[in-house]
Amino acid sequence: MNKLYLWGIIIIAVMLGATYLSVGGSKGGLNGDIVNILAVTGAVSLVTITVFVVVKYVRQMQVDSASGELADENWDGIGEYKNELPTGWAVMFLLLMVWGMWYFTIGYPVNAYSQIGEYNEDVAVHNSKFEAKHKNITGDKLVEMGESVFLAECKVCHGINADGINGAAANLNKRIDEKSVKHVIEHGSNNKLLGMEMPMPDRNGLFNASTGALITDAEIATVSKYVANGMKGDGAEIFAGTCVSCHGEGGIGMDSVAPNIAKFSPALVSTVLTNGKKGVIGIMPKFDRLNDKQKEAVGAYITSLSK
Amino acid sequence: MFHWLEKHPFFFAVGVFLVISFAGLIEILPNFAQASRPVIGTAPYSTLELAGRHVYIKNSCNACHSQLIRPFKSETDRYGHYSLSGEYAYDRPFLWGSKRTGPDLMRVGNYRTTDWHENHMKNPASVVPGSVMPAYRWLFTNNTDINTAFAEQLTVAQHFSVPYNQPVPMKDGTTKVVKMGSSVANANAIAIEEAKVIAADMRDQDVKDAVARGEIPEIVALIAYLNSLK
Repeated sequence: MNKLYLWGIIIIAVMLGATYLSVGGSKGGLNGDIVNILAVTGAVSLVTITVFVVVKYVRQMQVDSASGELADENWDGIGEYKNELPTGWAVMFLLLMVWGMWYFTIGYPVNAYSQIGEYNEDVAVHNSKFEAKHKNITGDKLVEMGESVFLAECKVCHGINADGINGAAANLNKRIDEKSVKHVIEHGSNNKLLGMEMPMPDRNGLFNASTGALITDAEIATVSKYVANGMKGDGAEIFAGTCVSCHGEGGIGMDSVAPNIAKFSPALVSTVLTNGKKGVIGIMPKFDRLNDKQKEAVGAYITSLSK
Repeated sequence: MFHWLEKHPFFFAVGVFLVISFAGLIEILPNFAQASRPVIGTAPYSTLELAGRHVYIKNSCNACHSQLIRPFKSETDRYGHYSLSGEYAYDRPFLWGSKRTGPDLMRVGNYRTTDWHENHMKNPASVVPGSVMPAYRWLFTNNTDINTAFAEQLTVAQHFSVPYNQPVPMKDGTTKVVKMGSSVANANAIAIEEAKVIAADMRDQDVKDAVARGEIPEIVALIAYLNSLK
């Protein structure tokens, strides 16, 4: 027997022995686990195939000699035989050509992939899942969702407790504060709170029906406090004379005329998120990247804060 | 001919190089030139914004903040539309950054405001609890270098044809003209006008006074720059 085959058999035996020892020595062995069994089978076949292939070619190098007709050209004395192509190689080459044509035309057409296309598909899938999952969400669940959106998007300005961080943004635990009421009475307002252009006039357009004159500084101060207190205290007559015609009894607003200044509503908050807002504190940017459900949820959460 | 090439490896290598270069040029360059043109809505930086960009670079904001939104849902949810190459047309150098210790700032102008930046730069943890960002209080006292910003504007306008004093198309169909001063004095006057608009929304009385005196604290320029990132 050739020495080479002997070495091959010895190496296979050693490798199989090592595999057996390392698996058998490990905790639990194969453990009936399909993955472990597959891994060990793979290791055994790899060792066997590798050794057989290596032995075959080393043997061939030892005994084979070159033969055939030499081609005319040679490179620095290194020539080339005019042999037929090996059949297996030629068949593989043709098959690969067919596969290549399939790959470039049907399997994975040129330019069929784009990063942005994948992004768009991702977003579409996410949006439809979101839609299906949250379509009928209401009540406490909606408020909960609103809170999580609030903590992700709104808290950097309005604060974790929605208190506006010492005046850096509006305090959302109440509908409106005195400063803001005063500001809009004096300067008017146009924040599209109803979802459309509907400006409120400044003090030169605010007529107090009870006194028959334009609203005065003292009246502004009183009615601001009254509105900020949730329609309580002094100032009911001024409110009735000046504000009620648009903002309605109790300041609950009127459709297409004026927003509710007594209470938040999800619709009002959604509109602010869509359009942004400019008031006495500064500009609130719009948050249009939230979808309608998220806006409604934030609205529900903020409405729940001042209840 | 192929036998000749096989016998002359140097010329063979030159031939390979030429063929590959030609393919590269016609495949890559036209696409690249197309993608790097300014997109509609991208305007050159004004004098004050450019000065603010210098402040941004000087304080190494780009070491912790990226300016590149990748097309993943998780990123576009948080930062807005993914970045397009044309949006960096007037960035020299671009400030993509490579690490996000802080959030991406590519479109921060869409969702943060002047007074928020003011509060945040004075004491980041007061508006973002747990923030690791340091306070940048010196921005409120150091004055901005408008002259360098103007010099950069002149250079890019001359050598890279950046469209200053020309109408630039915006997303809503209108056009916008970004002014560049005709002289150093004029550029400073333009910057002061811009600074007044920013200072009007700020609270710090010292900053307001400085702008009224004709000085521009760095914070004003930086906020102008951050507000322009949209």
